[in-house]
Amino acid sequence: MAEISVRMGELATSSDADTPLVSIGLGSCIGLALLDASAGVAGLAHVMLPGPGGDAAAKRPPGTFADTGVPALLEAVLAAGARRMCLTAVIVGGAQMFGGAGRMQVGQRNEEAVREALRAVRIPIARAETGGGSGRTIRVYLDDIRVTSRAAGGTEEILYGAGAMAVAA
Amino acid sequence: MRTNYTEIELDALRELANIGAGTAATSLSGLLGIPIDVNVPTAAALPLADAIDATGPAELCVTGVAIPLDGDLVGSALMLFPEQDVATLCGLLGLEPDSEYAESALGEVVNILCASYLGALGDMTGLQIELGPPEQVYDMLGAIMGSILAMSVGASDVALMLDSALIIEGQACSLSFLLIPSADGVDGLLAQLGLG
Repeated sequence: MAEISVRMGELATSSDADTPLVSIGLGSCIGLALLDASAGVAGLAHVMLPGPGGDAAAKRPPGTFADTGVPALLEAVLAAGARRMCLTAVIVGGAQMFGGAGRMQVGQRNEEAVREALRAVRIPIARAETGGGSGRTIRVYLDDIRVTSRAAGGTEEILYGAGAMAVAA
Repeated sequence: MRTNYTEIELDALRELANIGAGTAATSLSGLLGIPIDVNVPTAAALPLADAIDATGPAELCVTGVAIPLDGDLVGSALMLFPEQDVATLCGLLGLEPDSEYAESALGEVVNILCASYLGALGDMTGLQIELGPPEQVYDMLGAIMGSILAMSVGASDVALMLDSALIIEGQACSLSFLLIPSADGVDGLLAQLGLG
């Protein structure tokens, strides 16, 4: 099955049941999935930094900063056929892999900024799999709108969609 | 913000990496008691997602040891060890790869190599470079590189990476040493070389 790889700073959408979206190896980055299950449309952004993106954002891939990346992803999924009121979000990543003193808490700040940007556009978060010290891979399957997360050396866990365990976000 | 570097600048940085890696190789050779060779280092300024791809497959699980750099050269030094290379290096040090000593030994090796490499760089450029404590993780290459780049060069459009390989003779094992200065760090290095 061909999948669309969303690399650091990038974003992409899919409405093709056979074309999942994936961000491999999220460390301090956040994988943000926006989903409209009824329309069968999803988008994925691989957010690298909280922002503010400001003038720099125009020169960077559209998903680089949380403050500019969230609206950019929203616009992209709406253009791909998602309906505004049906959208829900899943966030994965934001780990602190290098935790030494004096290092920026990039992972935590990324998560806070993504949550803030989602609040601003009034999209609820259905599930968050964030923090900790390990990298993760997020996959968004379009055949039945499922989101999974897999840590390094771990198994693929269903976060959203059929088979997901109910957990507060 | 700089987004590209001239071939002359990249050549100068390559030469710095060459001397740094050569000094590190001498240290490693002393530590292991066998000859160590160095390749011709690469210096490239790449958009950040491409910089991750340049180090290998994002899903590959490796051991990464990072040393934060401060003082006159802000950035990160990073060594990446595929599983087989951890085993080889531990074998040469007389350690079991899974033993409690292996992790601290690996950190110490990286510490010594970084100190040699950056000591040579400091001597050549007159820059005071401060090394933080090594931090070791075992994770996906993409997650390691993404986290390091976000911390070191997040504000820049491109990452300038100096990549050297230390080749352990007769062992089919080469250790990748990456120097990732911040954009200001690169400018500082070039200025000291008369190219600023």
